[in-house]
Amino acid sequence: MKKSAIAALVVATVALPALSQQMKAENQVKYRRAAYQLMNLNFGSLDAMAENKKPFNKDEAARNAEFVALLATVPKGFFGEGTDKDTRAKPEIWKNRPDFDAKMDKMVSEAQKLPAVVRAGDMGAFKKQVHDVNEACKACHDEYRAKQQ
Amino acid sequence: MNAATKRIRVWDLPTRIFHWTLAVLVAFSFATGKAGGSWMDWHLKSGYAILTLLAFRVAWGLVGGETSRFAHFVRGPRAFLSFAGSLGRKAHRATTGHNPMGGWMVVFLLVILAAQAATGLFSDDEISTTGPLAEKVSNAVVAKMSSFHYYNGWTIAAAVALHVIAVAFYQIALKIDLVRPMVFGWREAPASDGETAMGSTVLAAILLAVAAGAVYWLVVVFPKG
Repeated sequence: MKKSAIAALVVATVALPALSQQMKAENQVKYRRAAYQLMNLNFGSLDAMAENKKPFNKDEAARNAEFVALLATVPKGFFGEGTDKDTRAKPEIWKNRPDFDAKMDKMVSEAQKLPAVVRAGDMGAFKKQVHDVNEACKACHDEYRAKQQ
Repeated sequence: MNAATKRIRVWDLPTRIFHWTLAVLVAFSFATGKAGGSWMDWHLKSGYAILTLLAFRVAWGLVGGETSRFAHFVRGPRAFLSFAGSLGRKAHRATTGHNPMGGWMVVFLLVILAAQAATGLFSDDEISTTGPLAEKVSNAVVAKMSSFHYYNGWTIAAAVALHVIAVAFYQIALKIDLVRPMVFGWREAPASDGETAMGSTVLAAILLAVAAGAVYWLVVVFPKG
């Protein structure tokens, strides 16, 4: 993992809550989408390793896990006022905000377990954690994301 | 069994194996699709197996046993309506093979299952599971396929429920057993009922192998090319 890339991501992530307060809705949608897309890319790689579709490579897995763990914290700050337009995010998010936030927090906490599990190198635990993150993602997709825009 | 009846064969072995394997795989696909997570790997494999079975069944509908052939059970609207009208009457008798209503249910199930298997190949859950052909088309197409795949799953659940209810109606209201013939292949019929030709099991095995090869090429070989 490139240390500088992680550092940049950490700085960006830390600065996010403040930024998103004054950011226009369109850009909030843009950045949360970007975070999800990069999570999808990195988590897809982990999932492929967990299912033996590609060989388990500890360095690559660790990099993927760090990315997922950091990126997972991004979207929550970008569901502000007016961000329900031009998006697959359903209006129910803003009607059931406590439940949405709970599911989001669950996803973040599961994602943040990934780096340590990868470093420990136990394949059973790795597969289980990938499964748990997957389910935490799906919980919101099922309820709060439209199938098509 | 009395003198006026005899056992006559209704469904050949390939059709019976096809039916029960498909039933199990459809239930398994539905459950794994809803469960998600690491079950999605099995969901995809189950889908490939279903696609193989459907390809086999279409071929079997042309060259299989008489009662399995489309020409035998795909009937016009007049036969459909007159059959529907006869359901309430006491004299309703079992026929050998699909009745004119059940035949259309078979066609409908084959079509929606084929659509489900086909759209699954192009679907992406945007978490970590991607159909083998999703890379081959634009994301606008992938979104449409994924959406269809999701909603059509419920259409299939409803159609399967209707299918089971119809069989239960036969079993309970009409006292005609449709389940045992689909398990054992024969039914107790009046001596006057004619026999139908069964399909060749060897031919079925060859068709199934060809279907499996074609699906393997489609989901494993072709995506790499």
